[in-house]
Amino acid sequence: MPGGDSTHIPAAADVVEARPSFLVRFLRDLVRSPKGMVGFVIIVILLATAALAPLLAPHDPTLQVLTDRFLPPFYAEGGSVDHLIGADNMGRDLLSRVILATRTSVTVALIVIVIIMVFGSAVGLLSGYFGGMVDSLLMRLVDFQLSFPFILLALLLLAIFGPGFSTLIVALSVAFWVNFARLVRSETLKLREAEFVQAARSIGVSHAAIMIKHILPNTLPSIIVLATLDIAVIIISEAAMSFLGLGIQPPTPSWGMMISDGRNYLYDSYWMVLGPGFAIVVTAVGINLFGDFLRDTYDPRQSRL
Amino acid sequence: MGAYLVRRLLQALLVIAAVVFVVAMLVKLVPGDIVDMMAIGNPAFTEEDAERVREELGMNRSVVEHFVVYTAGLFEGELGNSIRHRQPAATLIAERLPATIELTVVAMIFALVLAIPIGVITAIKQGSVVDQVGTALATLGVAIPGFLLGILMIMLFTVELGWLPPSGRSGSVVVALYHSVVELDPGILWESLRYFLMPAAALAASIVAINSRLIRSTMLDVIRQDYIQFVRAKGAPTRVVYIRHALRNALIPSVTILGLQLGFLISGAFIIENVFAWPGLGRLAVEAILWRDLPLIQATVLVSSIIFVALSITVDLVYRFLDPRIDYARR
Repeated sequence: MPGGDSTHIPAAADVVEARPSFLVRFLRDLVRSPKGMVGFVIIVILLATAALAPLLAPHDPTLQVLTDRFLPPFYAEGGSVDHLIGADNMGRDLLSRVILATRTSVTVALIVIVIIMVFGSAVGLLSGYFGGMVDSLLMRLVDFQLSFPFILLALLLLAIFGPGFSTLIVALSVAFWVNFARLVRSETLKLREAEFVQAARSIGVSHAAIMIKHILPNTLPSIIVLATLDIAVIIISEAAMSFLGLGIQPPTPSWGMMISDGRNYLYDSYWMVLGPGFAIVVTAVGINLFGDFLRDTYDPRQSRL
Repeated sequence: MGAYLVRRLLQALLVIAAVVFVVAMLVKLVPGDIVDMMAIGNPAFTEEDAERVREELGMNRSVVEHFVVYTAGLFEGELGNSIRHRQPAATLIAERLPATIELTVVAMIFALVLAIPIGVITAIKQGSVVDQVGTALATLGVAIPGFLLGILMIMLFTVELGWLPPSGRSGSVVVALYHSVVELDPGILWESLRYFLMPAAALAASIVAINSRLIRSTMLDVIRQDYIQFVRAKGAPTRVVYIRHALRNALIPSVTILGLQLGFLISGAFIIENVFAWPGLGRLAVEAILWRDLPLIQATVLVSSIIFVALSITVDLVYRFLDPRIDYARR
């Protein structure tokens, strides 16, 4: 986080207060907030599951065992502890599939968030710093895209490239980059007039250096808060696209597709929907709680929406 | 106001022109030979058919020529022919459009009817059990995707309780409302409305969660204002203070984000339709993508975009009446 000579915090104050390191402060804030703690634990579990998915999965997620078709969860009649939450219509172990699908969701979300953070922030920074014609044109585009239905953009891209992993990444990136552009632009507008930036400019620091060394670090808290909250939205959108058959394609397991499979067997095998459904909701709740905590602690100016 | 309206309409025309351009260019943008791809798995599709479709889609025309021909066709109501359905796309869309519009409008009504009282009550009873339950439900409401909520509702209300139909639509709710009033038989309305309940609720859920929170927090801000204290001090009954003075001003931010939520609602409707086998544009569009039925995709995206742009303008103008303080000249 920002510290040292590139921010507007005078170096002397750091010495006088002898502030604890960022990590120590972060952990202290986290322990004080039950909301943040719950969210943090869920995110750690989520990331660990994604990273270790093949090791954690008790079975091969694509292995079809005919005799296991529609096997109920362990607590139900006919269920077995070997397949804790049952098996699907093709006799594949549901728990293993939910675990592997976690990796799919996290991968998609991380790729998309990195793309839109870099691209959106760059656009916002340039637009806010230089202003003028380019700025007003870009902001028109942003305003328009913020309200334009995501699904219509996605359909256009799907029509061109067909459903698949890369189309999904592109569609989600196109849909969500505007949030970052808008946020970074409005922060840049404020910082541009700040005294420390004026000072830097007066001693002849280049535009690029001012933007990257002086303005960008000060927008980081807001960027991180937005990124956290956006990840939940991206995961939900990915699940929705995969549910429609327009996102992740088989045989890669994804929560949305698993729910779509289960939708056909609601009368007899309701458990096919419960595992992936539970995973989505817990993930989204956890990320939102943690994001709210980050915002309340580090960026209280951002409104509730 | 007049100048604003003119500028807004010009902007809208620009947006629609851009959408028309992108949609027209779809034919050119798709990599590989789309007609060959469409023909896969259809042995009855001969080389003559392929040539005819290529001609129809304008694949043999230059970019500029294609754009001009396509746009000219639009003015004559020509939206191309669906390859899969072997019907004009315009006919298919005209059949499905009312279902999507009704679903979206019913969901919006649900959202408003629920979000306002929830927001007001949780604000007045801040910190109480009711407020805490509201907070918990809102947290859940934002985190649960509409399609999942829809499926969970089918599990409860159809599979377990057998109260509501799991899918489909039984005619227009507006027509049903008319007949129900004319014949004084609420049963007719219910017969149509019961198909709407689950899809509309699933579509409205996250909006209810967001808006009730927003109304709650703005209510809390407004209640602390001096003029509310003044109304209270002059002895107005609590109910009047909250409803007539506080709620009115607390509603403005929610109405403002309604425009943004319109796009969200349309996206949601496209997804929810596929959960409940709702015969609307969303299902048509998803099927068109899966069948690579390019003319049908072009037509659905185009029509949906135009409707969306028209609706956003309407919402903008409605604000103007709700809050005359909004200064359009400065935007």
